[in-house]
Amino acid sequence: MKIPLNLTINGDTVELTVDANETLLHVLRNSASLQSVHRSCEEGECGACTVLVNNEPVNSCLVLAVSVQGASVMTAEGLVRNNEPHPIMKAFTDELGIQCGFCTPGMLMTAYALINRCEGSELTDEFIRKSLQGNLCRCTGYVNIVKAVKKAKQNKDAGYWW
Amino acid sequence: MKNFIGSRSLPDMIYHAPESIEKLFLLLSDAARPFRIVAGCTDFIPAVRTGRWSFDEEVTIIDLKQIKALNYIEHQGGMVHIGACTRLTQILESPEIQEKAPVLARAVTTMGSWQVRNTATIGGNICMSSPAGDTIPALLVLDARVTLAGPDGEEEMLLKEFLTGPGQNTMEDNQVMTRISFPAMEKNETACFKKIGNRTAVIISIVSTAVRITLEHGVCRNVKIAMGSVAPTPIRINRAEAFLEGKRLDQEVIHRCGALVSEEISPITDLRASGDYRRDVAATLVKRAIAECMEEKE
Ligand SMILES: Cc1cc2nc3c(=O)[nH]c(=O)nc-3n(C[C@H](O)[C@H](O)[C@H](O)COP(=O)(O)OP(=O)(O)OC[C@H]3O[C@@H](n4cnc5c(N)ncnc54)[C@H](O)[C@@H]3O)c2cc1C
Ligand code: FES
Ligand code: FES
Repeated sequence: MKIPLNLTINGDTVELTVDANETLLHVLRNSASLQSVHRSCEEGECGACTVLVNNEPVNSCLVLAVSVQGASVMTAEGLVRNNEPHPIMKAFTDELGIQCGFCTPGMLMTAYALINRCEGSELTDEFIRKSLQGNLCRCTGYVNIVKAVKKAKQNKDAGYWW
Repeated sequence: MKNFIGSRSLPDMIYHAPESIEKLFLLLSDAARPFRIVAGCTDFIPAVRTGRWSFDEEVTIIDLKQIKALNYIEHQGGMVHIGACTRLTQILESPEIQEKAPVLARAVTTMGSWQVRNTATIGGNICMSSPAGDTIPALLVLDARVTLAGPDGEEEMLLKEFLTGPGQNTMEDNQVMTRISFPAMEKNETACFKKIGNRTAVIISIVSTAVRITLEHGVCRNVKIAMGSVAPTPIRINRAEAFLEGKRLDQEVIHRCGALVSEEISPITDLRASGDYRRDVAATLVKRAIAECMEEKE
């Protein structure tokens, strides 16, 4: 069953035609050519496919694309502005919160949503770790990722953010 | 869309997302069979990917997410009502739930990841009727009732009576769950949820427990103890409850209660743990939960 699908992806409105059984992950990678959305377990376990749907992180592998008709979707590509890496990306490279990079786009999206939510309040290590439970990283051991999220929060508090 | 061994592609689908309950009932009366109701899809998609659920050709999907009338949390006349399609994140963040049913909020914090909780619904967790479903022990100690509705009308029943076995419940093909209701907890009550899994996050329970106690001048009243993954459905542990009734909590009493729990259950061995391990851990978990209830009230 083919269905027309309207989405706002990284700020642009797009009209696509998708199969009813396509996941948002599949549509973003294949129809929208957004390769930052990584595919791995396809069962909600690893978080590599994390994107924001209406500003909330979700596993795009567990979302039927047709079920988010009209939604606003953001992927790691949407963080970049004028070819400038986003301050959260800078924080991940500065703190070495990235090694092979496979988990990174998903990790960035969860962390970005987390920091945007914590306006004003402090981010504890424990809360960062709890919030990132759904993003597996096989390389870093998470220590530098936690540091990177804190650094990103500092960037935001210092007005370096978009 | 096959990627690696074990991950199966999704079947062809005819997709419906009714916006009202009336439209839903029309669809339920004449949707092409086989059909499947979905809400958050966090159980549905993994079940298809792993082959636990399979469909010969095409499947009709009826998605409940667009029905706003199934998504709410309200507190009225001492009762808390939750729409079946309310997402776990909404429950966790609801001031009503934090105040009137903190034990449910505690259970939900231990479920899945932030991403999963953003899409998973409470109705989905109950309708899967897994012995390990984490909202269920909490709802059992809250004496929750569930409402099922279909083209033929509506019925309300105790959650305990709704669950009939692993993955089994009393829901008919043309029914959906619309609502979960329970009395709000009182100020002098305390409750706690605990679970043990193979790791501490994003994990299915090997054993889970919810304990609720009213402490009157240090004496236990209205004791409710529920456990998950120790029987075909999450259950209340009646003898252990009766034992605590009217007793003052001390280490000795808590210890004997734990021992009674181990005696009362007969958990199975499966991929995740052996029956013996579950029996041991069940006692420990209940003891910890009671101790926490006690501390909270001190
Ligand atoms: C990574 C991951 C971690 C998880 N962790 C946990 C955990 O820690 N604890 C836990 O208990 N569960 C966990 N789960 C399982 C799952 O997220 C929950 O059971 C969730 O609440 C299911 O809700 P859903 O809306 O996504 O269900 P769906 O997948 O949409 O539906 C599941 C089934 O229920 C039926 N259904 C759903 N809603 C209704 C309704 N209103 N009326 C009638 N039928 C209905 C559907 O027909 C379907 O068969 C996890 C899942 C994943 C992927
Ligand atoms: S690919 Fe979606 S969580 Fe692993
Ligand atoms: S950097 Fe390699 S998986 Fe996280």
